[in-house]
Amino acid sequence: DTVPVVPAQRGNPVLRFVRNVPWEFGDIVPDYVLGQSTCALFLSLRYHNLNPNYIHERLRRLGRSYALQLLLLQVDVKDPHQALKELAKMCVLADCTLILAWSPEEAGRYLETYKAYEQKPADLLKERVEQGFLARVTDCLTSVKSVNKTDALSLLTTFGSLAAVARAPREELSLCPGIGPQKVSGKG
Amino acid sequence: EYFIDQLRSDGVVHLPRRVTNEIASNTRYEFYTQGGVLFATSRILVVDFLTDRIPANLITGILVYKAHRIIESCQEAFILRLYRQKNKQGFIKAFTDNAVAFNTGFCHVERVMRNLFVRKLYLWPRFHIAVNSFLERHKPEVVEIHVSMTPGMLAIQTSILDILNACLRELKRYNPALEVEDLSLENAIGKPFDKTIRHYLDPLWHQLGAKTKSLVQDLKILRTLLQYLTQYDCVTFLNLLESLKASEKAFGENSGWLFLDSSTSMFVNARARVYRIADEKLNQKGKVSENSDGKKENELKRELVLESNPKWEALREVLNEIENENKNSEDFGGPGQVLICASDDRACAQLREYITDGAETFLMRLYNKTFGKDEKAGEVWMKDRKAVKSKGNARPDTGPQAKKAKLATSSKQNKHKKQQDRTIIQMIGKTEEENGEELDVEDNKELNSSQEGSIDETIPEDFPVNLPSDSYYGIFKNPLTIIHPLQGCSDPYALTRVLHEVEPRYVVLYDAELTFVRQLEIYKASRPGKPLRQVYFLIYGSSTEEQRYLTALRKEKEAFEKLIRERATMVVPEEREGRDETNLDLIRDAKPASVSTDTRKAGGQEQKNTQQTIIVDMREFRSELPSLIHRRGIDIEPVTLEVGDYILTPDVCVERKSISDLIGSLNNGRLYTQCISMSRYYKRPILLIEFDPNKSFSLIPRGSLHQEISSSDVTSKLTLLTLHFPKLRILWCPSPHATAELFEELKQNHPQPDAETAMAVTADSETLPESDKYNPGPQDFLLKMPGINAKNCRALMNHVKSIAELVTLSKDKLSEILGNAVNATQLFDFIHMTYKEAIAKEKNKR
Repeated sequence: DTVPVVPAQRGNPVLRFVRNVPWEFGDIVPDYVLGQSTCALFLSLRYHNLNPNYIHERLRRLGRSYALQLLLLQVDVKDPHQALKELAKMCVLADCTLILAWSPEEAGRYLETYKAYEQKPADLLKERVEQGFLARVTDCLTSVKSVNKTDALSLLTTFGSLAAVARAPREELSLCPGIGPQKVSGKG
Repeated sequence: EYFIDQLRSDGVVHLPRRVTNEIASNTRYEFYTQGGVLFATSRILVVDFLTDRIPANLITGILVYKAHRIIESCQEAFILRLYRQKNKQGFIKAFTDNAVAFNTGFCHVERVMRNLFVRKLYLWPRFHIAVNSFLERHKPEVVEIHVSMTPGMLAIQTSILDILNACLRELKRYNPALEVEDLSLENAIGKPFDKTIRHYLDPLWHQLGAKTKSLVQDLKILRTLLQYLTQYDCVTFLNLLESLKASEKAFGENSGWLFLDSSTSMFVNARARVYRIADEKLNQKGKVSENSDGKKENELKRELVLESNPKWEALREVLNEIENENKNSEDFGGPGQVLICASDDRACAQLREYITDGAETFLMRLYNKTFGKDEKAGEVWMKDRKAVKSKGNARPDTGPQAKKAKLATSSKQNKHKKQQDRTIIQMIGKTEEENGEELDVEDNKELNSSQEGSIDETIPEDFPVNLPSDSYYGIFKNPLTIIHPLQGCSDPYALTRVLHEVEPRYVVLYDAELTFVRQLEIYKASRPGKPLRQVYFLIYGSSTEEQRYLTALRKEKEAFEKLIRERATMVVPEEREGRDETNLDLIRDAKPASVSTDTRKAGGQEQKNTQQTIIVDMREFRSELPSLIHRRGIDIEPVTLEVGDYILTPDVCVERKSISDLIGSLNNGRLYTQCISMSRYYKRPILLIEFDPNKSFSLIPRGSLHQEISSSDVTSKLTLLTLHFPKLRILWCPSPHATAELFEELKQNHPQPDAETAMAVTADSETLPESDKYNPGPQDFLLKMPGINAKNCRALMNHVKSIAELVTLSKDKLSEILGNAVNATQLFDFIHMTYKEAIAKEKNKR
């Protein structure tokens, strides 16, 4: 399970910093293929300033074949703002996700991370779920709009269990203190 | 607030009213049209201006207070611009009392004036003839008392200055690029030095070596030391010094200055101020036998000296003098009040204790609190002192319990004080107030006459004042004395208020501060009839304190001189006030500016058919972005958005995050939920990462990259976020200006967003994008349950119609659907666990 790298990237200092995942040269359209649906183009701002058409050409050839297309941009010029603005706009129009790196190390780290995290669930980004039962039930109930923590607790104490709350008819729910005529909505 | 109180007490008929968020938005229009003088918070005002809720053409004028704070992109400037666009006749006037603030940066005044749309600049420096002569007429008698420092203090001061100088030199050596003139020793003593140095170093902070950073830190510490030296007593100073040394050891970092010769002498002197280390190692045996074995040598006998602060003695003298004068001043109508001003709460508390208890007991107590568990030693010392010589033992121990004790006592004191302010008198008329006060004073006198035994002892006294009790320290009778801190109280007008209410006859400035001196002058001049008799200045002769005061004076003068010069050369365009159409600043250009916002051309651009609009969340008005967007010729619709911060087009929704916000919301899961809702309702969700223009434009500081991929890094989290939201676009913007520009370009050739729809998009709205087959509400509900993850959630939803149906399923059926028995058990137990069982379980755990 390696990262295919387009041979044209040979000599890019970024490759020196891709150390935590294996990579090999291969015949691909983007610069790096970081997973089933993820690919990346690498661009250095200095190069872009010299050859402003290069990236457009690359994007055109790439088309929309990957779900997540990254433009990994290395900021290595003194005053990047004008070019940055253009590229940001282009990325929005071309359905690319722009990632900025300020050094080859940082760029290499992004490449590594994308590959390494390919299958990683988003739990890390989510709110930490508390382990206790009460905390979880409350959390669960409050995900319903207009139910707050007190409501959740009063629901639980009146009905006894989550199953009972779910089974309870609307009239009984609205009898609970603090809860108006609202319902746990059906689904699907 | 202060102004309202002031006006009320002056008996103004049409009281100004305040516009706060308590008034509902739809009634605000009526409120505005009622007229009169209104005070408004800028946030409300911005929104009302934008929504035309405020009748701009009816406003006669706007007064701006604290004008030196106005910069181009702030809310107030935005308000004024909106006002000028809609109303060409009204006036704008701005005030400030901080001339020094204009001295920083390039053409500061001119820029501020431009933002305020004002043409004339009036300067009233202290040395202006009119001002001077007026104040001179009512000049109170000023007594400057130059207290000389003790040799110990002098020695410490010189060593601190030496070290400061050395640090500055080091700093310059490491950073030759720094502007040298501001980094002189003289400036280093002054107050705003920290700010200056930050100002220089912030943009390149991440590039600085560790050495420079620690040097800056050292400079800060040294400045604190210097302040403590003059302000507090010897014990507090030594305590600080010792704790510095201890923390230095604990963290194992050496900042260099501790090893300089001067610092050694500083330590020696600081200790010498508190105790003398006796040479003879007498009665060692009794002490040592119990605890320590190797540290016998350290167990020296200490002879307490406890040098008292020379200023205290001076203060006592002054108070005595005042007292004497009071005795033969019957013609003024009773004894006059005394106001003592010290710089902060702590100093005030100390002074209070000093006046009540006298120097020795106070220092002793302090010493015991900070250094000794050995209270015995203190007692012994007291006894010995009464005899002839003092000998006591105390070990330096800055343990936590000592600090706790300190805290406890201070809180006790506070409570005590609160009890003291017992009544609050509302002042209605001036005469009434005076009478009332006098009466009260007399009342109290009678009450306490029995207790007034000795002259020396001052008795805490009730004194009716309508001020929050915490800004007050020590109110004594005989003569009526009030100690007030100069800084650190929440209300900036507290001092002025105290002046007006107490009407002191004597003012003692324990710590000299320029702003208060100016206030005092004005106070005196504005009420010539009031009996402000004498002002005492307590200052250490030839000390840094004096130096600091003089520097502040000089800075003020220079600032005014510079302003005068600048005014002479300033070119103010005729149309500055914006009363006609020619003011360039008012023109909201729809064309992208090529270089900077100021050089935009007025005419020539083609008129667009449709007016561009961006919908902005109400809460976003705290940032400067809306103002800048508006300036670019895009209309802003302020509404309360549940999803996103800015809606550019019907498809594009932007969530703005500053760097600190980004890190925070990546960690607490907020950003994840925001992204979920954004991608649910908008085709192009965008995360805008906005960098601070004053800091470096980079996400992670240089050299902080680890060898391994770490899941706690911002970059890793950002990676994960984009992996899970492939539709999410990221914009990296170095400044709000750049953001505004980018927004404009992103909007080009796209339809305008609709505020109604944007508002309707809430977390529970039923409008589903085609991609999502299921109702998001119950989906979230399911995902929160144990045993359910993103993968089997879909399968479950395909099988069950509602949550009500889900709970009827058996465990076997569940495991069939979920394809995993463990998950099914978890889910089943979760659903059917009763409240009582849960409680019992939790209890068992404990």
